[in-house]
Amino acid sequence: MLSVFKKIWSFSIKEKNNLQKSIVVGFLNAIFNAFLVAALYVVLKAIVENSVSTTTAWTAFGIMVVSIVGKIITQYFSQLQRTHAGYFMVADKRIDIGEKLKSVPMGYFNQNSLGQITAIETTILNDVESAVPVVLVTTLGGFLNSLVFALFILIFDWRMGVITLLGIAIFLLITSAMEKKSRQGVPARQEAQATLVETVLEMIQGMSVVKAFDLDNNLDKKVDRAIEESFNKNEKLEKEMTPYVAMQQLVLYVFGVALMFCAITSYINGTMELTNSLIMVVCSFMVYEQLKVAGSCVANMRIAEHSIDKANKIDDVPIMDEGGNDIVPPTTEIKFEHVDFAYEKKKILDNVSFTIPEKKMTAIVGPSGSGKTTLCSLISRFWDVDAGSVSIGGVNVKDYTLNSLMKNVSMVFQNVYLFADTIENNIKFGKAGATHEEVVEAAKRACCHEFIMALPDGYDTRIGEGGASLSGGEKQRISIARALIKDAAIVIFDEATANVDPENEDRLQKAIEELTKDKTVIMIAHRLKTVRNAEKILVLNNGKIAQEGKHDELIRKAGIYADFVNGRKEAIGWKLGRQ
Amino acid sequence: MKEKQQSPIAVLLGLASDSKNKFIESVIFAIIGVVAGVVPYFVGAKIIVALMSGNTDIGYYSKLCVIALAAYVLKVVFANVSTTISHSATYKTLKSIRLKMISKLSKMPMGTLLETPSGQMKDTIVDRVEGLETTLAHLVPEMTANILIPVCLLVYLFVLDWRMALLTLVVFPFGMCFVAIMGKTYPAKYQESVRINKHMNDTVVEYVNGIEVIKAFNQSSSSYKKYEDAVVDNASFYYNWMKSCQWPMSAYTAICPSTLLTVLPIGCIFYMNGTLTSETFVTIMIISMSIIGPILAASNFVDSIAAMGTVVGIIADILDGPELIRPKVSAQMNGTDISLKNVTFRYNEEKEVLKGVDLEIPAGTVTALVGPSGSGKSTISKLIAGFWDVDGGEITIGGRNIKELSQSDIANAIAYVAQDNYLFDDTVRNNIRMGRSTATDQEVEAVAKAAGCDEFIRKLENGYDTVVGTAGGHLSGGERQRIAIARAMLRNAPIVILDEATAYTDPENEALIQEAVSKLVQGKTLIVIAHRLSTIIDSDQIVVVKDGKIHSQGTHAELLEKSELYRQMWQAHIGAKDGE
Repeated sequence: MLSVFKKIWSFSIKEKNNLQKSIVVGFLNAIFNAFLVAALYVVLKAIVENSVSTTTAWTAFGIMVVSIVGKIITQYFSQLQRTHAGYFMVADKRIDIGEKLKSVPMGYFNQNSLGQITAIETTILNDVESAVPVVLVTTLGGFLNSLVFALFILIFDWRMGVITLLGIAIFLLITSAMEKKSRQGVPARQEAQATLVETVLEMIQGMSVVKAFDLDNNLDKKVDRAIEESFNKNEKLEKEMTPYVAMQQLVLYVFGVALMFCAITSYINGTMELTNSLIMVVCSFMVYEQLKVAGSCVANMRIAEHSIDKANKIDDVPIMDEGGNDIVPPTTEIKFEHVDFAYEKKKILDNVSFTIPEKKMTAIVGPSGSGKTTLCSLISRFWDVDAGSVSIGGVNVKDYTLNSLMKNVSMVFQNVYLFADTIENNIKFGKAGATHEEVVEAAKRACCHEFIMALPDGYDTRIGEGGASLSGGEKQRISIARALIKDAAIVIFDEATANVDPENEDRLQKAIEELTKDKTVIMIAHRLKTVRNAEKILVLNNGKIAQEGKHDELIRKAGIYADFVNGRKEAIGWKLGRQ
Repeated sequence: MKEKQQSPIAVLLGLASDSKNKFIESVIFAIIGVVAGVVPYFVGAKIIVALMSGNTDIGYYSKLCVIALAAYVLKVVFANVSTTISHSATYKTLKSIRLKMISKLSKMPMGTLLETPSGQMKDTIVDRVEGLETTLAHLVPEMTANILIPVCLLVYLFVLDWRMALLTLVVFPFGMCFVAIMGKTYPAKYQESVRINKHMNDTVVEYVNGIEVIKAFNQSSSSYKKYEDAVVDNASFYYNWMKSCQWPMSAYTAICPSTLLTVLPIGCIFYMNGTLTSETFVTIMIISMSIIGPILAASNFVDSIAAMGTVVGIIADILDGPELIRPKVSAQMNGTDISLKNVTFRYNEEKEVLKGVDLEIPAGTVTALVGPSGSGKSTISKLIAGFWDVDGGEITIGGRNIKELSQSDIANAIAYVAQDNYLFDDTVRNNIRMGRSTATDQEVEAVAKAAGCDEFIRKLENGYDTVVGTAGGHLSGGERQRIAIARAMLRNAPIVILDEATAYTDPENEALIQEAVSKLVQGKTLIVIAHRLSTIIDSDQIVVVKDGKIHSQGTHAELLEKSELYRQMWQAHIGAKDGE
């Protein structure tokens, strides 16, 4: 229980103040709650002394009114502070993450990592948001209430007070033992859960194959087994927890009875007045009431703790140090000098040096996995090199601020990402404040004007959920328009025309060639025509520049490039049909 | 087709029917626990009576305390037994829900499976179902206890003194008035909160997934601002909502349990009148303090039940979704001629994708489907492969309606090869062998050679016994594709459908893939969808699909002659074609 509070505490960076206040006010709330003991005392005393009068009735009523009003006011403030703490600590965390993402090396992002971050940002933090206030209100509130009761009793009669506190202490001990046990059992359960996720995913994705080949359904068996295993582990964990839960409850009951018994014996052996003894008997029923409720919120505590742990995983995401100056590069010549780069211990670029000439087209070719995309992402500093340097216009990319670097580089990615917004705004994303005419101009150059006009709302058509569904090629072309409107001096195309229909490919190709009049264009490509017209061709193989030069030079030498060209010619001449 | 809307609870009961007895057991144990749990209150009352009457016999009190203790032990034991049973019944129910969903998966139209993001489906089967656990497991025993305890105590109170019993209850409706104040704005506020939360989630998802684009286009500050606003709006909304109803809420939580407010003063008056004995009075004090707590706890459950309802609704939607059921025993096919007659089709409620397609594909011929993106050419091939049932018209293979054919016969007749083919996290050998489970190792290796994968497979760590990793993660796109082709080759189905199978997934390996495809399609009825027209000009018939209809069909030469659309496509293709 305490560990959860500790976690919440360290999670609530800016909200600590509110939490503190809430605890103090919560304490007051508990005191007002304990007022009802005073009301009981007044009445019991009057009964025992046989002096019940309307004054007794009014006094009791007055005390109760004070107690209720006090509780309402303190509850109002403590609850609000806790709610604020709960929601805003999560909001702060989200903002932190958003801030952090700005300096995460872009290469870190892939489907997997993006999925994880999204999950943390939405599901997991939503859980924190809903579980933390409950934990704070119920568990912390319950704990405070019982504590205040114990302190009251302590003042009243120290022996009883000690017994009450002892009960709380043992309750906490059992709770922490339970948490420990639960932590032991949880990994096995999580493992079963992970297997379940994996097999269910495999089942869903593989179902088409199973059906297409009418396979025996042993996939079913595998999933069934995983479901069974998840069932077993869940049940086992629950069974292991049950004795602890029972012990928790039992301890409180035992101490309740002990309090009652002590109150009786104290009265009988004359060390306590009858009134006090009676009030203790009454109290013995209510002292732990709230703690019991707190104990029953273990599930929420587990969720809170677990979610906070998961959310904190975001700290493992690497960040890139930024800084640098706002620099306008004198030229846009790009230079790689002895660049090494490894990703997850796998060497991707190995001592690579070359120059990309200004205002010309450079093509990068090479087998898949040879490091073409990585090479491009080093130019826009999506990653930092491990050794060597990348410079634009003679200035190391690390010396630019990200903003000034990005001003000069425009990229078309292999995986197109468009926002759930209008087409116009998606294109405008490349240049804030662009006019409609500029957007149309870019769209025309990227060969998307025609299909956009054919859509019901034209440029105002929304893309994505509830909007128009575009084909891969159409999305690709919009992303090209977005890159064109940015009008950066360096444009990088990463297999940008791969998804485009042949009908548009040709026009697109011409538009790209047009660009090289005043821009430095870098293209990862496999199309012979593109490659052939390039000012410079870089042939990448196994992380090294295997060949570089112009088409006419390279084609004459035996080597990867010549093989590539021949392979392409063969592929292009290929026909399906009767042979 | 509109099925009647069932209430979530009814659906849940249906899903939990296997565990019905367990849940009943759980209730019975919970009731015993409740009864045992009420005993100490009587004991407390007896003790007070004894104390006030001056009884000092310690033995008497000891006995009572032991009874109270024993009752508590019983209560704890039975309550926990009840919870344990309920948990195990809950987990059983979750298990059966999952099993039902899994078996539903295999009955879903294959197209639906391919279209639904696998993450979403997984989410429902794993996470959302898991989310039912807390509510469902605690619902039965705790609701039983929370409702029964106050009822028992209340009955006892009425037996003791009906006036005091009513007084005990008086604060509760008073407190509830405040809930009513909040309740008025609740639906509107709740709707608003759902909207704001969704907006935040969408913004967050977009910010995270678009971060690459955001940074590349230097829009960090404006996008971040949008993100930050959405996040702060979300927190502020909840906070302000809470704030707006915090006064009544606080009043409610403070007033409801304060039964002593009425019990003490008015009790004093009754006592003074002599209509209430001191013993009864004190007993009522104890009991009245314990009566409201459980009721409040029960009312808290109502929210959880509502949340559970939503999840159950999602599950029911999946379980009630359309199925594609094929007979176990197939009608006899007569050859493998394929024929489409006036076929119409739409995905979900969307606009019609196919608007009456007639097409004959004679056995042993090559048919190419071409047309602009979104024309419906891929849908035609998927319907032939039996991914969905047609909405109108019919598709026959060998003279038989495809609906009369068993899944196994369709699978034997058609090999469908797409651009991206799923590989299981199993060995390369087993992945290929899925084509025909009885194939020997030699046969597997022979098709692998034919499909041009033998070489790279042997270079893998463990050769044919290398585990390919989830969804074939350790292999390149082209390698995966060739393994999938080998798998299809092993199947040796008379009809092969290539759905963009030769597109640029792995351009560097294209020649190798083409070679594999050539071998796969030898002597088969071939239906092909290809980007590059030059690959299909030798087809027996080329079908130009446009706007869900067959625009024109014929050989390459015929179409150049008669189809303007085809001519345009061919021109564009020639223009874009590599080389000269």
